[in-house]
Amino acid sequence: MVFARRSAIYMLLVALLALFLSPFGWLAVTALKDASELRVLPIHWWPHDPNPDNFAGALTTFDYLGYARNSLTIATLYAVLVTLASAWAGFGFARLNAPGKRAIFGVLMSTMMMPTIITLIPTYLMFSKLHLVNTYMPWVLWGLCGAPYLIFLFRQFFSNMPKELEEAAIVDGCGTFRIFLRIFLPQSWPVIATSMILSFSWTWGDYIGPALFLDDAHTTLAVKLAGGYVNAHGEPMPNLVASGAVMYVVPVLVLFLIMQRGFVSGIATSGLK
Amino acid sequence: MSSGQLLKDSARVVPSPSSGAAARPRRKRLSLRQRRQGAFYAFTGPWVLGFLGLTAYPLGYALWLSFTNSDGLSNRSRFVGLANYREVFTDPDTLASLGRTAVFTGITVPLSILAGLILAVLVNQPIRARGLFRTLLYLPAVVPPVGAALTFKLIFDRDSGAANGVLDLLGINGISWLTDPYARWVLIVLTMWGVGNVMIVSLAGLQDIPRELLEAARVDGASSFQSFTRITLPLLSPVIFFQVVTGIIATLQSFAPLLIALNPTPAGVTSVPQSNYFYMIDVFAQFFANGRYGYASAMLWVLFAIIILVTLLLFKISKSAVFYSVEPESAKNKPRTIGDA
Repeated sequence: MVFARRSAIYMLLVALLALFLSPFGWLAVTALKDASELRVLPIHWWPHDPNPDNFAGALTTFDYLGYARNSLTIATLYAVLVTLASAWAGFGFARLNAPGKRAIFGVLMSTMMMPTIITLIPTYLMFSKLHLVNTYMPWVLWGLCGAPYLIFLFRQFFSNMPKELEEAAIVDGCGTFRIFLRIFLPQSWPVIATSMILSFSWTWGDYIGPALFLDDAHTTLAVKLAGGYVNAHGEPMPNLVASGAVMYVVPVLVLFLIMQRGFVSGIATSGLK
Repeated sequence: MSSGQLLKDSARVVPSPSSGAAARPRRKRLSLRQRRQGAFYAFTGPWVLGFLGLTAYPLGYALWLSFTNSDGLSNRSRFVGLANYREVFTDPDTLASLGRTAVFTGITVPLSILAGLILAVLVNQPIRARGLFRTLLYLPAVVPPVGAALTFKLIFDRDSGAANGVLDLLGINGISWLTDPYARWVLIVLTMWGVGNVMIVSLAGLQDIPRELLEAARVDGASSFQSFTRITLPLLSPVIFFQVVTGIIATLQSFAPLLIALNPTPAGVTSVPQSNYFYMIDVFAQFFANGRYGYASAMLWVLFAIIILVTLLLFKISKSAVFYSVEPESAKNKPRTIGDA
């Protein structure tokens, strides 16, 4: 009975896995195909003559590594700043009380509901007057303020931590800043990991931000890739698009696989067990 | 923190009230509550400042723009009152794009939450290699939007895509997937590919449910279906609610169709097929193709109002449907024991 049930779950999971991973497979297959293999019928499910030159082509059609460096700089800068700032604010909303808290929290929630673009274009006009367009300052400023979604995530996590942890520390004479830094922050490393991964991949993957705020010289890989690789007739070249996309996506997947230890199982562990 | 460090901290901190009392008597009267109030403002202050400068100010600017006929460039814009708003509510194209977005939201949000919950339950079963299953099912959700969009453009490419390859095996002629009326299905499939996000949050919620509760239920003779509906779902409802709210908000403002369009640039919005012409695509078109900053700002404010209304409605419903097991303010009244449950 138990064996039959487990086998059924296994088969279901394996089938789902095949379904979910097949797009990666097609991306890899297309990335290795020679241009002559792209428009044939019946379709080639496997590259008959794998052509690794596509990757070189994808790297040199435009300054791929230069744009990757831009993406990496922005994403790292933002991820570190926004995670610390969000944990900081999330702790305040979860564990501290003061007049006006309800109102401020209400504002935070409605900010989370804000269509990002509603502020993005006026912000663009504002930043261009301040000469901050085509610099990474917008990402620094956004990072330092924390992101509502991440603040909410930290707030949820900190709210669920037992009150005893805090009370013991207060009895010991621990100040609020130290309670945050020594007790709550170390406990929240699964949320920190989540926040880092989320904010890094948002920024690495963000399209509309850099498309608005950065010109062609400063923009990110996402913007450059989205236009794709087109030939002299303006038609996209699928094999170059695929190899460019592989090199863009794989670092994110590798980063996730390295950092996911404890990320999945530890996301909701609380202080007392 | 090591116990030695903890002891050292206590030794340094404990005598301080008496010495502080001698030097600064007022400091002593600052109660714990007052100090923690000050700390609240210190902790939330940076965000409040950022909100004022980077959200409230731009938002007010957009509101001002929405009452003008500004094109964002020239200084010749003038006040037009509510004309832009009147146009939003009467223009058939704008209303159609809003309806299209609502339908897409109504399909993908419940579908994602249901599928994500099923996946979470599956990968929470006590089976071998479940960590691997979790990781690999979540993997697509990590793929950046542009990468995912490019991948699906390749799969659904008319000439070289796998989708038409499968149809060819079945003896069916190829379809132009990325054009009307099929583009909407490509977008739904693309959205569902990232369902791992929902799975991982639901899974975290599942793991937060005390195992003792489920064991007690089993001892009392509850079936696994009963303990799922009576224990797991109520305890999971805050997590599900959180995902409904954020899912709807994110989908209503989605501009994902732009990324699978023929020409995925802000100026290329006109290449988005009709069936994927969402409200936000219309906003982009008004901003970048037509240069109607005033009208587009009004559209944004209308969307903002809709989102606020929907969210308020959801929170109202949630009062009866969502079960919060631990509330920090009233923790004393609700001991976290299961002894007499």
